[in-house]
Amino acid sequence: MNLDSIPPIAMDPAAPTLPDTFTATILLVEDELVTRTSMAARLKRLGHRVLEAGNGRTGLDLARREKPDLIIVDWVMPEMDGPTFCEALRRDPVLKSSQLLLMTSHDQPAQIAEGLARGADDFLSKAASKQEIAARVLAGLRTSRLVRELETTGDKLESSILLLQRKQAETEADLQTAATFVQSLLPLQGSPIQGIALAWEYQPSLTLGGDLFGVMAIDADHLGLYILDASGHGVAAALRSASLMTFLRVENMLQLLGSYDPEKVLFEANRRFPLSADGEYFTLWVGQLHLPTRSLSYASAGHPGALLSSAESPSRWLTRASSPLGFDPIARFDSDRVSLKPADRLFLLSDGIYEVPSPGGELWGRRHFQDVIDAGRNTSLAATISSCFSEARRWQQARQFPDDAAVVGLELIGRAEGESRG
Amino acid sequence: MDKTAVLDLSEALERADGDRDLFLTLATLFLQESPKEVAAARRALSRQDGAGLMAAAHKLKGSVMEMCAPRLFESARRLEELGRQGDLAEASSVCADVEIRLAEVHAALRDLIAGGFPS
Repeated sequence: MNLDSIPPIAMDPAAPTLPDTFTATILLVEDELVTRTSMAARLKRLGHRVLEAGNGRTGLDLARREKPDLIIVDWVMPEMDGPTFCEALRRDPVLKSSQLLLMTSHDQPAQIAEGLARGADDFLSKAASKQEIAARVLAGLRTSRLVRELETTGDKLESSILLLQRKQAETEADLQTAATFVQSLLPLQGSPIQGIALAWEYQPSLTLGGDLFGVMAIDADHLGLYILDASGHGVAAALRSASLMTFLRVENMLQLLGSYDPEKVLFEANRRFPLSADGEYFTLWVGQLHLPTRSLSYASAGHPGALLSSAESPSRWLTRASSPLGFDPIARFDSDRVSLKPADRLFLLSDGIYEVPSPGGELWGRRHFQDVIDAGRNTSLAATISSCFSEARRWQQARQFPDDAAVVGLELIGRAEGESRG
Repeated sequence: MDKTAVLDLSEALERADGDRDLFLTLATLFLQESPKEVAAARRALSRQDGAGLMAAAHKLKGSVMEMCAPRLFESARRLEELGRQGDLAEASSVCADVEIRLAEVHAALRDLIAGGFPS
C-alpha cells in the first residue's frame, strides 16, 4: 500500500476542539505525597494550573473557592475516600456539574461501575502513560467547557423566560384595565328610557373586544341605537372601535348633525373613518326609535343588521345590502323605516354569535339564531339572549367564541302612554 | 521493567518525562514519607488490624510505583493483599521483606542523590 496516496485527514475548523496550549485549573486530591507531587508535575507540564489537596475535606473547600475546570481525586484515602468525595460534590448545588476523574490503581469492572455510580465521570490509572493522562485530562476539560456553556445558556434562557412572563403579566393587566374601561362604556342593562327594556350579553373572543354597541336616550321621545364591528382582532381593533364609539356619542352627533338620523350618522362616520392604511374597516348599523309612534328608522354600512321579532309574525331581518364604512368617501347609506308594535323585540347582534363552526366545520348560521329568537317569545328577554349563547356554544362544543359575540335585545313595554301621545 | 532490579532508573526517568530534578525531588520525598508508612504497617500488625495494614501498604505501594522499584513494589503489593485477606501471620514475614527492600531502595536513592545519575 502506497502511504503517500492517502490524503491527510481534514480537520473540521468548527469542531469544538481545544488548543494544545489550553490552560485550565485542575484540582488534584491525593493523600500520598509522592504520588501527588508526581501527578501535579505531569499536569503542570501539560500547561495547566494545579491546585493540590491532601484530603477530601480540603479538596471540597478548594473546589468551592476556585471552581476548577477538572477535579482528579484518588480512590483510596483515609476518612473521605474518592467515591465519597464524588458523592459530596454531586450534592453541592454549585459544584454538582464539575468534571471528575477518579484516580485508581484498581481496574476491575465492578469497581469502575461503583465509581461511575457514585459520581465519577472517568478514571485515571496511576500507572497510565503520559499520553493517556494527557488524553483523559483533555477529554475531561472539553466536557467541562461544554457543560459550562450549556449552564450559561440555560441561565440566560431562564432569565429571558422570567422577563417575558413579567412583561406578559403587565400586558395582561393593561388589557384588563382597558377591557374594564370599554365595558363601562356599554349601556346599563334595564330600562334606558321609559317604555323600553334592555338586556344584552357580550363575549369578546380576547380580553379586549372590537364589537361594541350603544343604546342611548336622545331626548324624551327618541332612542338611538347602534352596533359596530371592527375588522381585525386584538388591541388595535379594540382601540379603533373605542374611537368610533366615542364619535357615536349622542352629544357629538347632536352637535355635528343636529339629530341621530341614521342616514346622516352613517354618512358622517363614513367620511371620518376611512379604510385604514393596513386595510382595516368598520361595519355599522344605526337605528333611531321614535317612541311616541314606535317608528324605527335604520341604516346599515355592511353590517349584518338587526332582527325584529313580533308576537304575530315570524321574525325578520332589518338590513339592506351596503358597503362597510370607509370604502367610498361620498357613499350614501339609505335608511328604511318600520313600525313596531307593543311587545315587539328588536335584537342587534354581531355576526360572531352565529358564525360559529361545529367540530365538523358547519356554521351555526343566521337561520338557527333566528329559530332560538322565535322559540324564546314566551321567555324573558334576558333568557332568550342567554339561549342564543348556550345554543351557539352547544353547536361549536366550546365555551370560547372564535370572534366577538354580542346580542343586544330591546323590548317595547307599556303601550298606552306611547299611543296616546302619538 | 527489570523485576529483579532495586531501581529501574530508565523507567523512572521516563515516568518523570526525563526530568531528573523532578525525580530527585520525588526521591527525597520518598525517603521522608515511606518510613512513616512502614511504621504504620508495623503498628497495624501489632494490633492485629488487617484494614489498617492494607491502607498503610497501599499508600506505600503508590509511592513505590513512582520510584519504579519493582521488588519493593511486589512486596508492598503482597502486604496490601494479605492485609485485605486478614492473613496477619503471613503478613508479618512479608512486612520484614518490605523493610529489607525499602532499606535497599533508600540506599540506592541516597547514592543517586549524592552522586547523580549514572551517565
